[in-house]
Amino acid sequence: MHTDPFLAELRDRGLLTPGQSAAIATDERTRPFSLHYEIRTLLYLGITLLSGGLGVLIYEHLDQIGHGVVVAVVALLMTACLTYAARHRQPFSWGLVPGNSLLADYLLLLGCLLFLVLEGYLQAQYALFGARYGLALALPAVLFFGLAYRFDHRGVLSMAITALAAWVGLNTQPLAVFKNDFLTASVSRAAIGLGTVLLLAGWLSETQNRKAHFAYTYILLGGNLLLGAATAAMFADVLRPMILLLLLVLAVSAGLFWYGRRVHSHIFLLIGAAYGYVAFTYGLGELIEWVKLGFPFELVLFYFMASTAAAVWFLTHLKRLAGTAAHEQGI
Amino acid sequence: MNKAYNPIWARNEALRTAAQRWHRRGLLPLAQLQAIREAYPLDFYRPNIYLQILLFLLTTLGYLATSGLIAMSAYELFDSVLNWRGQIKIGVVTLAAALAGQLVLQRLITSSRTYRAGSDQALLYLSLGFAAIAWQAFVDAALPNVIDFLLLDSPYLALWLLPMLVMLLWATARFGDALLAALSYAAVLGLLANGLLQFGSGRLVLPFAVMAVAAGLYQLVRYLAARTDYWYYRSCFTTLEVLALATFYLGGNYLIVREGNAAIGGLPVSTQIPFAPVFYLLTALVPLFYIWQGLRQHRRTWLLTGLVALAFSGFTVRFYYSVLPLATASALLGAVLIGLMAAALRYLRTPRHGLSADAEDGSAERPGLNLEALIVAQTAHAPQAPEPGFQFGGGQSGGGGAEGQF
Repeated sequence: MHTDPFLAELRDRGLLTPGQSAAIATDERTRPFSLHYEIRTLLYLGITLLSGGLGVLIYEHLDQIGHGVVVAVVALLMTACLTYAARHRQPFSWGLVPGNSLLADYLLLLGCLLFLVLEGYLQAQYALFGARYGLALALPAVLFFGLAYRFDHRGVLSMAITALAAWVGLNTQPLAVFKNDFLTASVSRAAIGLGTVLLLAGWLSETQNRKAHFAYTYILLGGNLLLGAATAAMFADVLRPMILLLLLVLAVSAGLFWYGRRVHSHIFLLIGAAYGYVAFTYGLGELIEWVKLGFPFELVLFYFMASTAAAVWFLTHLKRLAGTAAHEQGI
Repeated sequence: MNKAYNPIWARNEALRTAAQRWHRRGLLPLAQLQAIREAYPLDFYRPNIYLQILLFLLTTLGYLATSGLIAMSAYELFDSVLNWRGQIKIGVVTLAAALAGQLVLQRLITSSRTYRAGSDQALLYLSLGFAAIAWQAFVDAALPNVIDFLLLDSPYLALWLLPMLVMLLWATARFGDALLAALSYAAVLGLLANGLLQFGSGRLVLPFAVMAVAAGLYQLVRYLAARTDYWYYRSCFTTLEVLALATFYLGGNYLIVREGNAAIGGLPVSTQIPFAPVFYLLTALVPLFYIWQGLRQHRRTWLLTGLVALAFSGFTVRFYYSVLPLATASALLGAVLIGLMAAALRYLRTPRHGLSADAEDGSAERPGLNLEALIVAQTAHAPQAPEPGFQFGGGQSGGGGAEGQF
């Protein structure tokens, strides 16, 4: 055991009693080996593979006998998953619900995925909702929001947010905010609007203590959607006036940065600083263009050198000034 | 070998992590934990992972911009004063950029006490990268008649790769950085393959040579872990252990050997290889052995490498024999995985054989749920209905992206 020298040293320095040291040494040897993350990863992989496979199978062999079996299997599995989750549910609370069964959580997720598969199939094959596509898209959003709050499930919450965005006509996958097709003024406005709504929802969850732990998902997906859409709209020049967009991006970035520091969630610092830096640099370039100052390439390089050095210095010393013990957090 | 970072930092960090674990497991009262923390302070700077990424990106951008500035002024100087050839100019400029980066890195570590904070890693990797480009330019200038000396079977490759290996080994010993350790091993493998490919029969023994080197590396890591500053080099040891296991497996994997053989021989379509049954057996058994060892001896490196290797073995089988249609296979595999994990959860409700399904520290809140929600947002979508008129178009059936949880 690599920690044995530590125990001896701490005992010699009087920081541990000999009894404690012996108890810890025993625990280090006999502590069970945790397979927690492995099991969770494989469960999630299994859910994705199963729902993905069934989702493709359901459209294959449409005219064969086996096809009805697939539809029935999907429907039965979905019912079974949701029933299992419902039977293992905990009493509702606005706070964090501890002690949820691991398997029930993942089966709930599978049930939601299979619901999407089944609903998509019924609409494609039997036009269940007719031409009311809005209803077909709003139904999963409503259902998933309800399930997420009832079962206290952040994964279902992000599926609900994705479904809501699909209803508005957007894609909120974290890595796809720039890929929203047909970047037009109306799409950009919808994205900025939905982003604002999600940011507000996150802020209210946290301040009103209504599922405060959902705030992270709301604010991350909403902030990323808003900033990504606004930045893309700025570059593609589809929304005017530019200066308002620029100010919006800078303000939201600053807000995320402040929020990230407040709750010690450093991914918000990263997002805020990155979008803010891009927007600031872009704005500076536009300004120089507008004033019609010719500027050599060396100046651009010098700007990057000076601005990154300043930013690194700022970030490196920010934590020290704030005195928040990052190391304590990290451990 | 003098170390760039204070070795006390690594040791104190590990000790505090251990103490924190003892506290969470209820073996150490909070007051004592505080006393230990005061006795072993952490006086280096390393922010959270996201700030590390930010610092890394910013430093990379700044370093590249600065090097660009140096290069532009240096080129003007060269053109007016010296009449060197292109490669020499590139070499001199990149070498200057590399040295400048190392100097700034040294100053950064002493003045800001950064310890793998993102900014120091960016400087380290980029400066070594610049040094590699510089040496390549010099070798290029020295061998004007040789065009592709960077090819794996070129007899001149060692001229570039051997000094790179020496540089990487020096940097690994000095900085204790895992990526540099991995690159050193890659350089060793490159040299091995390069040496063997100079002979006609070398290609035949290459898989076995790779497996032998991997086994040797594993022994070396165990030897060094017991005899050097374990905590300072811990990430290197873990990385090298995983790489040793992975290359041992890949060296005996049927797909890699067969396709690699064809690629080296310049064949358009791969053909059956000699000793094929040996490779079938290795492909099937090595992952199972890894998983079994990992579970029995509680070694996470073995277990995870074994799981990934098992997935790759499955891919190997599918590559040559299409057992079932993809969608059916995916659904069946998913169902089997869910069933197996449900059984494992039930079996491990109380820990058995020293294995447990609970999170390490036994906290009520399952860690990593926020991250999991993001992965769900990115990956959990039902396949869309195919466009009418098309037989069967889109639909994502893969489960990619779910691996990034750790």
